[in-house]
Amino acid sequence: MNRMKILLVDDEHEFVTTLAERLELRNMNVSIAMDGEAALGFVENDPPQIVVLDVMMPGLSGLEVLEKIKAMDSKIQVILLTGHGATKDGIRGMKLGAFDYLIKPIDIDELIEKLNEAIKSMA
Amino acid sequence: MNQVTRKEVAFFGKITAGITHEINNVLAIIQESSGLMEDILDITENGIFPHKDKFVKSLNRIHGQIQRGIDVSSRLNRFAHSSDHCPASLDLNEITEQMVLLASRFARLKNVVLESSPSDPPLIIKSDPVSLEMALFESIEILLNIIGSGGKITLSPRKIQSKCVLGVGYENTVLPEEDFLAKISSTERWTSLQEIMAYLGGTAKVFGLAPEILLYLPESIDD
Repeated sequence: MNRMKILLVDDEHEFVTTLAERLELRNMNVSIAMDGEAALGFVENDPPQIVVLDVMMPGLSGLEVLEKIKAMDSKIQVILLTGHGATKDGIRGMKLGAFDYLIKPIDIDELIEKLNEAIKSMA
Repeated sequence: MNQVTRKEVAFFGKITAGITHEINNVLAIIQESSGLMEDILDITENGIFPHKDKFVKSLNRIHGQIQRGIDVSSRLNRFAHSSDHCPASLDLNEITEQMVLLASRFARLKNVVLESSPSDPPLIIKSDPVSLEMALFESIEILLNIIGSGGKITLSPRKIQSKCVLGVGYENTVLPEEDFLAKISSTERWTSLQEIMAYLGGTAKVFGLAPEILLYLPESIDD
């Protein structure tokens, strides 16, 4: 069975590296990017199946990155991470083509469920 | 609320909301780090090592405290966003539930339980969210300052003679025979509450027997 290929995008280094380790322990192929520009570089050169994308980042915002990803490859699924009080961003993101959104801090089981749903939706 | 005060409130709201996002990031890192420790524990061969039970107990405690931190910061975040729009369309059930969460600690210091009794259907008004929260908080503080220890304060939005009212009432198994009406209306906070209610286009009344402060609110602050 092919390993799920995921790109995690968040400017919080400790958060994104630890989450990557947890997903790798679950046999997923995980790359990380610390900002929107780096994420778009990954999408262009080594496209993931799913991007887990923080909405609030310096530079390009998560919603801007989402729009660019969808323009580059509409098949890539994007799961947004929003903060409390920012669910409007999540809803806006879904209107822009995001698969779903989760509120930070996230529950790992909930993330895995969303990742599986996103993969199924691509079949 | 004058323009300077409004700007001050917006400033405090914006800074506080920003800080709650930072706190959430810290909590997210602690959550993932302790989660990774659990993951490693799960895949450790045989899974047995000295003091494992204490290790697991500590991890569970960390998880519990992370959840507590998330609850606190999300309450603070919602409160900080109160100043985003004014006037705003407000569900009085949501406002009272929010105030129960925010003010419970103050009530707990006097062994008082703070709870809300939502109205059905919900009452929606157009008002100034920050001033309305201040009026509710003042009412709770007035009651906490005049009562003894114990009992319950209930926040109950309801209609009285077709008017929207927020009731802040105190109950205890035994109520001392006191003139609550005189006691409440002689406090400085009562004057402050009257001022806030005048700004909101409403009035505050008090019923002295089982003390309850009733905040009469217009359906729209513009009325």
